Amino acid sequence: MTALALPPPSFIQLLFGFISLAEKTAASKLAYRFASFISILTNTLGYCIFLLVWREVYRQGTAVSVPRAEIFPYLLLAFLVNGILTLGVEARFNQRLRTGAITSDLLQPLGFVNFQMAQGVGDAMANSAFVLPVYVVGWCFLGPAVLPASFASAAIGGLSLVLAFLINFGLSFFVIQACCVLHSAYGVISMRLALHQVFSGLSAPIVLFPEPLHSLAKWLPFRHIVETPASIWLGQVAGARLPQLLATQVAWALVLLITSQLLARSLVRFRQVQGG
Amino acid sequence: MEVLRARCLSRTYSKRVRGSGFLGTLRAYFSNAMQTVPAVQDVSFAIEQGEAVGLIGENGAGKSTLIKMLTGILAPSSGEVETLGVVPAADRRRLSMSIGAVFGQKPQLLWDIPTGESFKLLKAMYHIPDSVYRHTFHETVERLSLGRLLDTPVRQLSLGQRMRCDLAAALLHAPRIAFLDEPTIGLDVAVKEDVRQYLRDMRQRFGTTIVLTTHDLKDITAACERVLVLDRGQLKYDGSLSGFVYEFSMERTVLVEVGHAPSEATGAAFAAELAPLGVTLDWQAAQRLRIVCPNPAFVPMVTSTALRHLQITDLTLQAPDIDSIVARMYRADVQRMRPSP
Repeated sequence: MTALALPPPSFIQLLFGFISLAEKTAASKLAYRFASFISILTNTLGYCIFLLVWREVYRQGTAVSVPRAEIFPYLLLAFLVNGILTLGVEARFNQRLRTGAITSDLLQPLGFVNFQMAQGVGDAMANSAFVLPVYVVGWCFLGPAVLPASFASAAIGGLSLVLAFLINFGLSFFVIQACCVLHSAYGVISMRLALHQVFSGLSAPIVLFPEPLHSLAKWLPFRHIVETPASIWLGQVAGARLPQLLATQVAWALVLLITSQLLARSLVRFRQVQGG
Repeated sequence: MEVLRARCLSRTYSKRVRGSGFLGTLRAYFSNAMQTVPAVQDVSFAIEQGEAVGLIGENGAGKSTLIKMLTGILAPSSGEVETLGVVPAADRRRLSMSIGAVFGQKPQLLWDIPTGESFKLLKAMYHIPDSVYRHTFHETVERLSLGRLLDTPVRQLSLGQRMRCDLAAALLHAPRIAFLDEPTIGLDVAVKEDVRQYLRDMRQRFGTTIVLTTHDLKDITAACERVLVLDRGQLKYDGSLSGFVYEFSMERTVLVEVGHAPSEATGAAFAAELAPLGVTLDWQAAQRLRIVCPNPAFVPMVTSTALRHLQITDLTLQAPDIDSIVARMYRADVQRMRPSP
């Protein structure tokens, strides 16, 4: 039998393909002007309603352990981070699995994981364009409190956001494996979204959670997708807790990505492709 | 030089046993009953570099499953498969650089961006050198008439246009093996002919191995010289296309035009003489007779008998085309086919 004609691609070649796919995915997501406009509008309105609810909580004098000056910038940042990291990985995969179009994804030279991740990066790039106006609106209302506390906060916050992306993608890829086995994974996707909604710190800082939810949130990866990068950006994390949080993010990203890869390899025998 | 090899290859699917209707579906929630469905069973073959092989079989025969195992999309349940010297499911990424695949009606191009942008993306992902890309791109665009489609988003293309673009996308990196699963579905007659010609040329110039499944058997006759026939997952025939036609279409039809209708006695004598051969006589009009011979060897005797009894003005011999052979095979006759050695 003949040997392969082409050698495996080098890292630089892979990177070039990866960036190209991310860019095209972002362009693809921004292709619909009206939909993009509606998306920005609803994001902004959603955030405004959210802020009004919290303003009412403080106006009624409810005892909250987080000061008012901290919570509003936090909620804005949490909203933005979540907006950026709302990836279409599971939805896209599930749709392509149901139609059988996943066949061509499985044959991409980037490899299946990189192919999905590059599209996730593209999603995040497009999402950034959607949420940036919300940040500007928030800045107008809340002032410099929404800006990073220092250059270091901004840099480490950015790093934390990258790690948050990897954790989020790792979870998505985990869900994808379930899709492969269950053929339709609406249940798994709904469960993942519900857990993310509650435990990421999107609707409230986790410090406000009652026990045992507070302890549970600490042991789950979701808070490191939203709360950790938002808090670091705003300079709300200091001292030894900062490297500790970053290390936890790195650990979660590695665990999820490696486990997903291993799972993908072991499940290959059980994979079924629908649609002939 | 072998580029594809399958040995005792099998693949089964599991599916949950469900009752019908709402209650049946609800009951299945509390039951673990599974049914195992064999999609491909004990299939063995080898394909040489540069061969063009057609996979024939009715819907659900296992053609697409077989292609998915050869490309590494699916792992076999048992048996062995090697594509370009590697186990496809284990080394899919490396393999993907040397193969191209089209799965009919399953677009691989990004839906919302112009087709030309998708081609540029493929150039980046496959690391196609500029010199190669310029050549293959221009040739593909010209041969498949894609020029005016390059600025159009894939979602706005018709099915036929999309299929052409998908085919171009699969072949842009000049793969060693092209797996084409119903590549001409939705194409009009003229474009189908262009695609077939393009495949022939590509094979001739690059020595590309082609594995083709289609329900339009003209694709097979135009592009392949070897066929594999699958029936309910089992390989029923592996050999040359001409051998397949010869072996599974013994029937020949002799069409006879006569100057005037024979007398009743002549007609009866003619029929009596041919009766031992098991031929069927069908007077389609007073001066037109259709004689169906069950074996080509009977044709000379049928013809000479006709010449003796009838005043023949025209005589035509017809062999069934591949469409009618396969159509008959799909209906029932597949059981008669001999298993491949």
